[in-house]
Amino acid sequence: MTSVMSVEVPKSGAGGQWAVETHDLTKRFGGRTAVNGVDLLVPRGCAFGYLGPNGAGKTTLIRVLLGLTRADAGTMKLLGHEVPRHRDVALARVGAIVDEPRFHQHLTGRQNLQVLAASREPAAAGRIDAALERVGILHRANDKVAKYSMGMRQRLGVAACLLGDPQLLILDEPMNGLDPAGMADMREMIRSLVAEGRTVVLSSHLLDEIERTCDAVAIVDQGRIIRQGPIDELLAGSNLEVEIDCDSPEMAGSLLSSNTYDARVSVVENGLHVSLPTGSARDIVAEMNRVLVQGGVSVYRLQENRASLESWFLEVTSRLGESE
Amino acid sequence: MTASTIDDQLFPALDDFPNDHRGRPLPTWPMISARILELRKRRGLMVALIAVNVGVPALYLGIRLVMHLVSPKSYGPAGGYDSFTNLVAGVMFVFGFIIAATLGCTAGSVDLSEGVFRHSVVTGRSRVALYLARIPAGLAILVPIVATGFIVVCAVCVFAAPTKLNYQGVTVPSGLDRAQFVTWAEQNSQTVDCQFPFNLTSAVDANFNPNCGPQNGPGGVGITITKGGVTLKPATPAQMKSLAVIVANQDYQDYHQTFLSPPLKLMVQSGLWLELEAIIGFTVGLGLASLMGSRTVPIVLMIILEIVLTPILSVARIPHLINLQRGVVGLATAHLEPNGLPRVFGGHGPGAGGIIPESTTLAVIVIMAWLVVWTTLGAWRMATRDV
Repeated sequence: MTSVMSVEVPKSGAGGQWAVETHDLTKRFGGRTAVNGVDLLVPRGCAFGYLGPNGAGKTTLIRVLLGLTRADAGTMKLLGHEVPRHRDVALARVGAIVDEPRFHQHLTGRQNLQVLAASREPAAAGRIDAALERVGILHRANDKVAKYSMGMRQRLGVAACLLGDPQLLILDEPMNGLDPAGMADMREMIRSLVAEGRTVVLSSHLLDEIERTCDAVAIVDQGRIIRQGPIDELLAGSNLEVEIDCDSPEMAGSLLSSNTYDARVSVVENGLHVSLPTGSARDIVAEMNRVLVQGGVSVYRLQENRASLESWFLEVTSRLGESE
Repeated sequence: MTASTIDDQLFPALDDFPNDHRGRPLPTWPMISARILELRKRRGLMVALIAVNVGVPALYLGIRLVMHLVSPKSYGPAGGYDSFTNLVAGVMFVFGFIIAATLGCTAGSVDLSEGVFRHSVVTGRSRVALYLARIPAGLAILVPIVATGFIVVCAVCVFAAPTKLNYQGVTVPSGLDRAQFVTWAEQNSQTVDCQFPFNLTSAVDANFNPNCGPQNGPGGVGITITKGGVTLKPATPAQMKSLAVIVANQDYQDYHQTFLSPPLKLMVQSGLWLELEAIIGFTVGLGLASLMGSRTVPIVLMIILEIVLTPILSVARIPHLINLQRGVVGLATAHLEPNGLPRVFGGHGPGAGGIIPESTTLAVIVIMAWLVVWTTLGAWRMATRDV
């Protein structure tokens, strides 16, 4: 695994710092390796994005973690408890949606939650109404699930996760089927869950949503994790782009090129485009502005563009492709 | 979806989880209750279950009641011993098994096919417990429905039973003991001698003609019966009475088993037997459907087992495979059938020409084995299946 996360793996018990911890986790289906030696570390108390294209092995990893299918190799812990050895204790405080949330169509939303609460501790049944209210479908609780929209089923799935008062929520593509308002609601709810001290692992291929919602991410492709860590740290490792709108782009270009910023400067319509190397500090942007003004160039606008998660993801995966 | 609706009491600060032994393989009452809820809300299944176990016998008996009310001379009473035995052994036994198997197959597979089983698994609850919860849940639905249908049949057969006993085409007082039956036979010697079955050769050395021709009786012309080339004389009244006593003693056992209405003991035994059959159908269906992970194919297989394979394997003597045939659960159940009911699967009782003989002990062992093996197979598959 290639990782940017500079943390020391503790000898974790139930109180360890990781909500999810896997080492060399592998799952094969015949000759195809769906999860390939994954070392995943999800810190407690954050929203963690598990990113990857369709077919990358995201759902398979989740199914292995939850004991829905067996791993072929490797070890894993949930909330510090080894699984599958202590699966019952570990999953008691885990709520999860795998694939899409599916329910008994002939039962109402409330009845479906009653069925699921019955497998949890007795207090779970008492959380049904609060869970329904929290996800905003209490008013439809007595309607049959067959009449629910996809978005409402997603919400009901989250409500099902909340029945166990979970410390860890694992949500597989929770934005699927949601309209923009629903996605915003889901983002807000995930942030509120994290604010309560819970950990939310969010599997998705929607990079933009992950960037808006999560604190840290792991990028998975073809069953392998290729990067993981806090989003800020990951993006700090990407190029810094600066757009400069000025009255004399050619002169500005020569001024900046004569300084040693190790920057690539190109003249574009209405100004300059400057590409600074990976790891460049923001102070350089201010320094460039001073150089231009002192050189007699009128600067109308100067905008730094840090790479988005999407562009970074494409950058990382393209580099990976080149190296292979 | 906002944090403002959080109930701090219901979502308290994260704490250590109370140990509720959810890894244990035994289901809890709430789990069983939840399965009951899930099953009984399946409207189509419940309608079919009630229709077959209650509706069909009720409809049959209802039609007979109406027909008897409209034309009592043409149509006999709806209830009675014969109606009871025919309904129990002919309809409720076979269809009860099939509908019980359908319920079992549904309980064993819909969680998987509807994708809900995984939601239960991720609670950390033992998969075996999740599976085993289905058994008491299904039986809690099935047993009362079978009992309801059976009680309807019993009620009609008792309260709408004939008031006169028809034995061998003759109206005979019911409930006579042997002495009373013999006395009645003496008083009706002509009818008894001529219409009741008896073994003349071994029972009496009759050297007289019992006057049973169509024109016999006062003023009639007797038919001629010869024995050893000698024409027998018409019987005297004393001879007729003497013969009637012998016939009555021969036929008493048979008469004793002919009833106006089903006796209480037979009803209790039949009810328990039907419940046993339903429990077997449900449990085997549950295990098979869990093993296969689908519903339709196991239902078809169960129907084939009950109405095709079991009748054939119960009566056909296949060389070298007799002991294997004894392992068929339907045959074992047939051997536990209460005396007084017509034999199921077209046989006429154990022995030559009937179903393959089997001891009661072996029948019980076979039934227990089927219940245990199918339950184990279903539990194993649910515990190891990728979901």
